[in-house]
Amino acid sequence: MAPRRPYWRGYLKLSLVSCPVAMTPATSESEKVRFHTLNKDTGNRVVSQYVDSVTGKPVKDEHEAKGYERGENDYVLLTDEDLESVELETVRTIDIEKFVPRGSIEWVYLETPYYLTANDKIGDEAFAVIRQAMEAEDVVGISRVVLGRRERAVVLEPRGEGIVVWTLRFGDEVRPENEYFTGIDKKSDAKGVSALEAVIKKRLKDWSPDMVSDPIQESLLKLIAEKKKAKKPSKSKTSKSTKDDDEEKSNVVNIMDALKKSVAKELKSRKAG
Amino acid sequence: MAAHRAQWKGHLKIGEVSCAVGLYTATSTSERISFHMVNESTGNRLKREFIDSETEEVVERDQQVKGFDTGNGDYIMIDPDEVAAVVPDSDKMLEAEAFIPCGDIDDVYFDKPYYLVPVDEADHDAFTSIRDALSKTSATAIARTVLFRRIRTVLIRGHGKGIIATTLNYDYEVRSSEEVFKDVAKVKVEAEMLDLAKHIITTKKGEFDPAKFDDRYEDALAALVKAKAEGKTLPKPKPIKVSKPNDLLKALRESAGMDKPSVSKPKAANANSGKKATASKSTKSRAKPAAKKAS
Repeated sequence: MAPRRPYWRGYLKLSLVSCPVAMTPATSESEKVRFHTLNKDTGNRVVSQYVDSVTGKPVKDEHEAKGYERGENDYVLLTDEDLESVELETVRTIDIEKFVPRGSIEWVYLETPYYLTANDKIGDEAFAVIRQAMEAEDVVGISRVVLGRRERAVVLEPRGEGIVVWTLRFGDEVRPENEYFTGIDKKSDAKGVSALEAVIKKRLKDWSPDMVSDPIQESLLKLIAEKKKAKKPSKSKTSKSTKDDDEEKSNVVNIMDALKKSVAKELKSRKAG
Repeated sequence: MAAHRAQWKGHLKIGEVSCAVGLYTATSTSERISFHMVNESTGNRLKREFIDSETEEVVERDQQVKGFDTGNGDYIMIDPDEVAAVVPDSDKMLEAEAFIPCGDIDDVYFDKPYYLVPVDEADHDAFTSIRDALSKTSATAIARTVLFRRIRTVLIRGHGKGIIATTLNYDYEVRSSEEVFKDVAKVKVEAEMLDLAKHIITTKKGEFDPAKFDDRYEDALAALVKAKAEGKTLPKPKPIKVSKPNDLLKALRESAGMDKPSVSKPKAANANSGKKATASKSTKSRAKPAAKKAS
């Protein structure tokens, strides 16, 4: 996958030590088969545009502004620069306040992972010191940072030469488990448990990304490839008449590669625009 | 319990043991502060409209279909039925295919957590056995099934009285950390610096309950909006002092509270005199061991 522009730039801080850092999302939609919305009648792309709710006229980008609703139909307009002035240090700084043992944060709170790296040579050493010390102590760091107009609790986990940053769900975003698990009070049968333990131990495996393949994505790409072929009668006739499976397959694979590329390209241009 | 609706119902199976379970969303999303898009020149709210990219005419919902870009602006229309046909029938079975030690999982793949709950009283035996066997072995079961019209990989782990199932992102949705971190400069950290940083960490060790975290952004934003509405100049963000490589050791020492020569010298002197004091005390205490403080 192509390197991505940082999602967030700021500073990592431990007590009086600080260094410039950049954060990029660990997950990406760029390789996913994505559909566009088309106009059934014309076959053209459907795009969204902003119109003035009163005049009904389209509004140019430069006239679009963010408005904070002070009262009904009464907005205080805010520019992106204004928003930078919010008086919270956590807009630009991840100051590690606390350390807890690795693995002590419940999985249920982990929301979105990001990768954190030093963003300038000047900070390489400070970043390395903080990361290595966390690793040596077998701890993760706890801090807060403003992302997407909210202050998020984050966990910083040393990994390899970098740090994984997890945003944590808010308390009211995790449903109280008692409401679901109440009433499961039966003691398990010791014999049954030990039999299952044996099954588990026998089938322990190493984690591998192969375990999260997506067969439906492949099927979708095939479906699209076939439709594309059907659209070009001269080519599809030859492949239809021949029963050569190998040739058919390789053809599909090539088109799939092309499609994958076009998905990536499309996404890039959308981001740039 | 009755208030919640299962997202999915099926069976959980490990080896020969299975039970009927319901899958419930463990999370919800709370609202963040939303702005309205406003036309700067009229002050009116904006609304979104969907238009044809060529004719620029409004396209109503029932005229919108799914399509795929095959490059060069060439689109293929896809019938939702055709997409649905690609999804295999669900066997409604979460069957463990393998087990992975909890610590070995690359958590970056985590998507969403769900509570797994036994459907009936009759399912409790099997459910609690599976739960306890997973907890005792500190393992997660890995299973694949059709969920929400995709084949999803799910991690199943014992959690308190229940079981949590976490859906995983697909391989192509996750950027590998090795790939991202391979360009990070490998820095040899001086032992003294590392020791100081470890010391700082030790002083900051504690407990953390994510449920008690509060978001201060809304208040800060309200203050900003008030200032702007009153026509005040907004404060410029303060510049942040970066620790340059030459200052790093000093910053670490100061952070660790170990760079105060004026304080540490008398301390050393006190320590010496203290030694004398303890020495004389110890002779006394040897004479009268009963006088030793208990606590």
